Amino acid sequence: MDAADIAVLETPDEVPADSLVDLIGWTLKPEGLCRDERCVIVPDSSALRAGDGVSLAAVAGLLDRPVALDVDAGLVAIGAERQQRRGALQDRRAPDFSLPDLDGTWHALSDHRSKKKLLVAFSSW
Amino acid sequence: MIAVAIDEAADTIRNYIRNDTDGITYPVLMDPDHLLTELYAISNVPTVLLVDENDMIVQPNWNAYSTNTFKDFHGIDADAQLDAIRRWVRDGDTMIPVDDVAGSVADLTEEEERGKLHFRLATSLRNAGDEEGAERNFARACELAPHDWTIRRASMPLRGGDPFGPEFFDAGSPYHGINHPGTS
Repeated sequence: MDAADIAVLETPDEVPADSLVDLIGWTLKPEGLCRDERCVIVPDSSALRAGDGVSLAAVAGLLDRPVALDVDAGLVAIGAERQQRRGALQDRRAPDFSLPDLDGTWHALSDHRSKKKLLVAFSSW
Repeated sequence: MIAVAIDEAADTIRNYIRNDTDGITYPVLMDPDHLLTELYAISNVPTVLLVDENDMIVQPNWNAYSTNTFKDFHGIDADAQLDAIRRWVRDGDTMIPVDDVAGSVADLTEEEERGKLHFRLATSLRNAGDEEGAERNFARACELAPHDWTIRRASMPLRGGDPFGPEFFDAGSPYHGINHPGTS
């Protein structure tokens, strides 16, 4: 999981189905919503439909990701898959994440596998 | 050790590092979009998590401080916490039995999840120069997640407020009535 996966999208909620791959990396196929080797079954494709396209909020819901819209600004924010946080809270599995340091070099938690890690979240506020 | 700044003030964080006399040898990461707080259900900082060699959490979110600078303010002794961390690193002793870790931190509610997303919308609009749109989303975020300090307090400097001023230390704050460190 990195910041790009949760980037705020400049788009209305209703989008052409074939733009999903560019927006969120998932493609709507006859077998379901697919990304790489993974497919999520779409029980009722009409529930995703909005106008001539699909609703991003409905797609996010199917992927178990929270969503918030600002219709006036034309922005859609889609959060991380809830399963990742549940894995942390219920099964103790630390969700991997990747973030840049101040020089722009990316670091992932998984870079430090096989080491004990002290993770400190802090702020200036 | 990995430090993550739940912050967009890169210059301020850079100054912290520059002014650190010990010399920082660990990664200091920037998380202006608050990815970490969403993934780990973090609602206030500073917080510390301990993650073992197999990427399993042995100590979930926990208010911890690496110095005693603010001890008078929150009453938490950093020395005892640092000792506990050292014992884990050295001997593998955990502060709470690992079986008790699961479920010890509550999941975010749907409102709190959406609050975090509206915060992201707000900072995105603020960065694009849309102050009005930013304010609309900051307000919505605070409404949805009134107890999430990574939203409410973090938004103060971005909305022209002061996270070290009366806004935080008075109105509706759990710290209400506690003197600001450095004041009597």
